Amino acid sequence: MNAEALHARWSPDAGEHEHVVFLVEGMHCANCARSIERAIGALPGVDSVKVNGATARAAVDWRGRGGTRLGQILEAVRRAGFTPVPLAGQTATAEFQRERRTALKRVGLASLGMMQAMMYLTALYGTTDIDASMAQLMRIAGMIIVTPVLFYSGAPYLSGAWRDLTSRRLGMDVPVAIALLLAWIPSVWNTLRGAGEVYFDSVGMFIFFLSAGRYVEMNLRHRTLGSGEALARSLPAEVTRLAPDGTRTKVGVASLAPGDIFVVPKGGVVAVDAELAPQTAPGSRASLDESLITGESAAVARAHGEPIRSGSVNLGAPLFLAATAAVADSTLASMVRLLERAQAQRPRMALAADRIASWFVLAILLLAAVTFIAWWPIDPARAFAALLAVLVVTCPCALSLATPVAIAAATSRLTRLGVLVTRADAIERLAHADTVVYDKTGTLTAGAATITEVKLLSDLPRARVLAIAATLEKQSAHPLAAAFREYESDLQALAVREIDGAGIEGTVDGVHWRLGRRDFATDLPDPSVNDAGLFLGSGSGLAARILVGTPLRPEAREAIDALRGLGLRVMIASGDSREAVAQVAGALAIDDAHARLDPAAKIALVRELEARGGRVFVVGDGINDGPVLASAHVSCAMGQGSAIAQAASDLLLIHENLAVLPQAISSARAALRVVRQNLGWALFYNLAAVPLAALGLVPPWLAALGMSLSSLGVVLNARRLARTGGNR
Amino acid sequence: MSISYLLVLIALAALGGAIWALFWAIDSGQYDDLESQGEVPLEEEDPPEKAAKG
Repeated sequence: MNAEALHARWSPDAGEHEHVVFLVEGMHCANCARSIERAIGALPGVDSVKVNGATARAAVDWRGRGGTRLGQILEAVRRAGFTPVPLAGQTATAEFQRERRTALKRVGLASLGMMQAMMYLTALYGTTDIDASMAQLMRIAGMIIVTPVLFYSGAPYLSGAWRDLTSRRLGMDVPVAIALLLAWIPSVWNTLRGAGEVYFDSVGMFIFFLSAGRYVEMNLRHRTLGSGEALARSLPAEVTRLAPDGTRTKVGVASLAPGDIFVVPKGGVVAVDAELAPQTAPGSRASLDESLITGESAAVARAHGEPIRSGSVNLGAPLFLAATAAVADSTLASMVRLLERAQAQRPRMALAADRIASWFVLAILLLAAVTFIAWWPIDPARAFAALLAVLVVTCPCALSLATPVAIAAATSRLTRLGVLVTRADAIERLAHADTVVYDKTGTLTAGAATITEVKLLSDLPRARVLAIAATLEKQSAHPLAAAFREYESDLQALAVREIDGAGIEGTVDGVHWRLGRRDFATDLPDPSVNDAGLFLGSGSGLAARILVGTPLRPEAREAIDALRGLGLRVMIASGDSREAVAQVAGALAIDDAHARLDPAAKIALVRELEARGGRVFVVGDGINDGPVLASAHVSCAMGQGSAIAQAASDLLLIHENLAVLPQAISSARAALRVVRQNLGWALFYNLAAVPLAALGLVPPWLAALGMSLSSLGVVLNARRLARTGGNR
Repeated sequence: MSISYLLVLIALAALGGAIWALFWAIDSGQYDDLESQGEVPLEEEDPPEKAAKG
């Protein structure tokens, strides 16, 4: 087991606070999750344990100095009867493959056995004129076929029930295993004595349906985990580092430090956040596929100085890159950590179902006993069939699957949209949101600044104004200077001086010009109201007022309209100037726009909205807005570099495409709808089926069919979400 | 009547053979990837250097 090495690779601060996530094999229900939590929680120094039954993941936070080592935690899991599996990409994938193959064999054996057993045993149904020795032959054939099915295909249920009983709890497997053995043992007895009823066909059918349901559920789980797994797997274990003297050595990714130069071959994955190294020819660009990170499959080009995110695939010639972050702080590792955190948490809604399941099993067992006792004086033969039917028909699988599968499917769908779910409750919260607050104008605008308006204040023509301004700004490093670049001419500016916070001045064609704040440009204190923008002035007065703005993201309008279409109220709460906010709000027809808010005022605004019963969804750019994001009911940050690592938000918009937010909200709402449908269906099915079974109206094989269809229905209903659906 | 004993025996043997064949197919990876193989005919011809890498 290389868990220790794996842990060393993922955990950035070994020592005081440790954190590890691993897969747990053999976990089939909520009760298993709780017994693992209890086993690990009993160790000294463990701060928190979260085990998610649906995703089969355990996340543990503990104090390493408390004397507990990772090995002891894994040992505790093993002692509880489960197998911990490290989450290294390769190993986990191999585990997945093994699990899938075994599950497929179980389904295959059960389906072949079920069909064969049924062919022999239906010969016994309702016929009395069958030759006794022939009937006995049929029974023996049924026994030979179904016994391996029970002990191979049915093994997970038998061992699961055994584990539950030895640790004194009631899991889903208990009634299933009791029903299987109660049907199988008397059938074997009747076969051996050569007379009486046999239930081999019902046993085969029950196991087939159970294992088929579990196979479908496993596939859904693998697909959901696949997104995180694909990320973790894509991280190369080794990279080729280039020493200053030109020698190349293979080193582990963990030993790559910021500033190191490393080589990425064509088709290779960039291991850490980086930029082009000086060894790459100036002016050349790297061609990269970022689809792993952003879901966006179009190739992107990166020039010198532009950030290259880890997880990008090099499409072009081999690249020399300079690391800008260590592996644990890089985009890829941060995303994997966030995904794992979310997948290890159990959503609130699922917790409620877990609590119910245990009582539900107890109720079933009591009900089955009562049914048997009530039937016994009436008809001992039917008492047994009714007992079996009650046990089988009420299997609480559907109930306990209802919520986790829907949440898992919705998470998978959101990930493919490019929205990373970093908290388990995020989907439920997102579905309830009724107000969207854009925390900054920067979330709605993007790209370089451009000149939006030129108001001429003298008889100087527009072209001349822009040419002079561009000539002055050419010397400036201010971000707004980029807006003037396209108006550059062959004019020359002399004695250019930039005054911080005021503007820039210089001599163009013998005239001394000033460009900047109004009072700077005119040298006159002028309390004019309309003083936003840049002013160009000379000794002879103002020449022009130039407004510079950043353009809206192209999809902003469409995204806002779609949000309104979903019935959400859209607001802006920005720290920018009134002018800038009004411009954005006007273009998007947003009435509720608040400008010049400091972070405290934004939090107050969110609190006020929530006090009035609103459920606020805050969208921020992820830079220094943690408190505002954290104060909201649910929040989303634009995912770039450090924003991913900090992740104060519940969701991360990886490729900064606003248009997916409305889709994400409708997916979340669809998920909640599916949860309600599933719970409703599970409840309805049980309420309807139990009385029929108790009255002896349901033969065991029909009970098996009904129970399996109810769980399969729940899983398939959730699967609709993971597919392209969910954004009707 | 004794022929049916033989027939049942043959049927059980055939079932055993079918199960063996299924397990063999699963273990040799026949069912590991049911999706991507179907897309192979739609893919562009691999450029030589990519094909060489495998």
